[in-house]
Amino acid sequence: MKDVETRPSKYEWVIILAILFASLPLILGFSLLVLSSFSKEMVTNLDLSSFRFTLENWINVFQGKLATTGGIRTNILKVTFNTLVVALGVAGVVTFISALSGYSLSRIDFRGRKHMMVLLLILHAFPGVALIVGVYLLYRLTFPQSPDIIRLYSFFYVILARAALEIPMSVWLMKGFFDTIPWEFEWSGIIDGASRIKVWWKIMLPLIKPGILAVALFAFLAGWQDIIYVRTFLIDQTLATFIEANIEAEYSHMPLIAAAGTLYLLPTIIFFLTAQQILLQGYSGGIKG
Amino acid sequence: MNKINREKFTALSFFLSPMILMVVLFYLVPLVMTVYISFTRMRNWNVEKYLTEFVGFYNYQRLLYMFQHDPTFKAVILTTVVFVGITLIINVFGGLALALATFFISEKPASSFRLLWLLPRMSPIAVYSLVWYYFFHGSEIGTLNSILMKLGIISQPIPWGQTVPWGAWSIIIFVNGLVGVSFGMIVFTSALNQIPKELIIAARVDGASAWEISRKILIPLTKWHFLYVLTWQFLSLLTTYPHIFLLVQWDLVNRDYGTTLALYVFNTAFGRGEQDQGLAAAAAVILSIIGVIGGFVTLKVLQFEKMMKRPRGDF
Repeated sequence: MKDVETRPSKYEWVIILAILFASLPLILGFSLLVLSSFSKEMVTNLDLSSFRFTLENWINVFQGKLATTGGIRTNILKVTFNTLVVALGVAGVVTFISALSGYSLSRIDFRGRKHMMVLLLILHAFPGVALIVGVYLLYRLTFPQSPDIIRLYSFFYVILARAALEIPMSVWLMKGFFDTIPWEFEWSGIIDGASRIKVWWKIMLPLIKPGILAVALFAFLAGWQDIIYVRTFLIDQTLATFIEANIEAEYSHMPLIAAAGTLYLLPTIIFFLTAQQILLQGYSGGIKG
Repeated sequence: MNKINREKFTALSFFLSPMILMVVLFYLVPLVMTVYISFTRMRNWNVEKYLTEFVGFYNYQRLLYMFQHDPTFKAVILTTVVFVGITLIINVFGGLALALATFFISEKPASSFRLLWLLPRMSPIAVYSLVWYYFFHGSEIGTLNSILMKLGIISQPIPWGQTVPWGAWSIIIFVNGLVGVSFGMIVFTSALNQIPKELIIAARVDGASAWEISRKILIPLTKWHFLYVLTWQFLSLLTTYPHIFLLVQWDLVNRDYGTTLALYVFNTAFGRGEQDQGLAAAAAVILSIIGVIGGFVTLKVLQFEKMMKRPRGDF
């Protein structure tokens, strides 16, 4: 992609040093957090003498012991599991819906198609905070009476509501992936008399597996990192609300919170190492920030 | 309806109905409900009591009154203006600078840096806030304080986030700026890669430096992307709040000068203590009107409609 002639090597190291310097707070902040999770005390003050290696925080995290003394416990595995359910749920809903509508917007011409695409763009730019008050009222009005299913309902609702936020962008992304497939592929199927639904299922979906993977990955990360929606709608705790609640709690042992934070960061790190290309390309889709 | 049309209709409803259902359920209905709530006295989510208690434009009048007389609300508005303005500049020019810088170095370090700068966007918001909570902490455990003290620049730890207004502003601008920069960086990088290499090689042969190439060739050719990033980030900044929500919640930054209008809406509707959804909804409606106008201007300026071609695979 890049030829040697386009870039000089003379000043390369100057540029690299400059970016490195600009990235310093970022590198420092994240590494100190990870380092602290393996230490008896927080090492945020750059005093490396306060770093004493221990695995105690991680053991305590998995046992749910929130303080080094006292008996305050949280089932962190359950909390992690809740986070995972929300993230997988959002990924599933978003991928399914955008694979459906992305195909029709890419391949079928119908009246209102252009308007629908403009509308999706506007929706993506629409203030989420203007919606959440109304979304919460809808939640209150549809809240089940029976106490047994309230918890389940809150999972169900938070997944759908959070997925809805991702849908405009994911549909656009998925449409882009469908656009890259030459239409001769499906044409032969249609000539043979197969319906559009059959063509979509049998021919197109296998061809855009990379696109599906990318959309699913972004939706997963969106659900995994969310704090506003889980905090507002979900009755159970996730890692985000766990960290939120424990920063101010008098009893919490901070290196342990650092360990929980590092645990929370793990999927991001895994995707970082395994799916770099997808991440670099996929984020060009335009996500808020 | 003939056979072809009926088939097309069946296929379209199969493909589009789940998306339309979601949009109706989670955008249109809530939007109507938010507007509705803004005309009621809804507070503390007491739906039974307040859902049908109309107050007309009372909430909007309160907002106007607060805008004129309430110092806390004035601080919020001022913070929103400063925050959006400065962060926008940082996002656009920081993104452009990063894209250009990584354009002129070899592929390997370039993509590592690009990936590194995606970290703020990718990491869970709670972890991201936790990192900056310790970095800017107002005591000697804060990383920034301890660096400056070790260097001998300051002798006492500075409570950055409680120093109003610029201390609090700097932190929220910095934290959000880092998230936004990656957006500009990626858009500009893909724009730069689309520029024909011959142009750059020719300029290089003529002895142009990286700076001259950037100024004379690369930047003029990325004008469209520049506008795109500018308007898109403007809309995003106006309405995002999750990345600063926890910083305010944890008292790292001052409550008044760390709160933008979007965060104000959220905290008024869902925050601690007295919640006032009527007022929050009114503020949200005003924010949406600005957002929608901005969205349409964006579409017109960027001429998105021209990018939408008729699909080829249809007959």
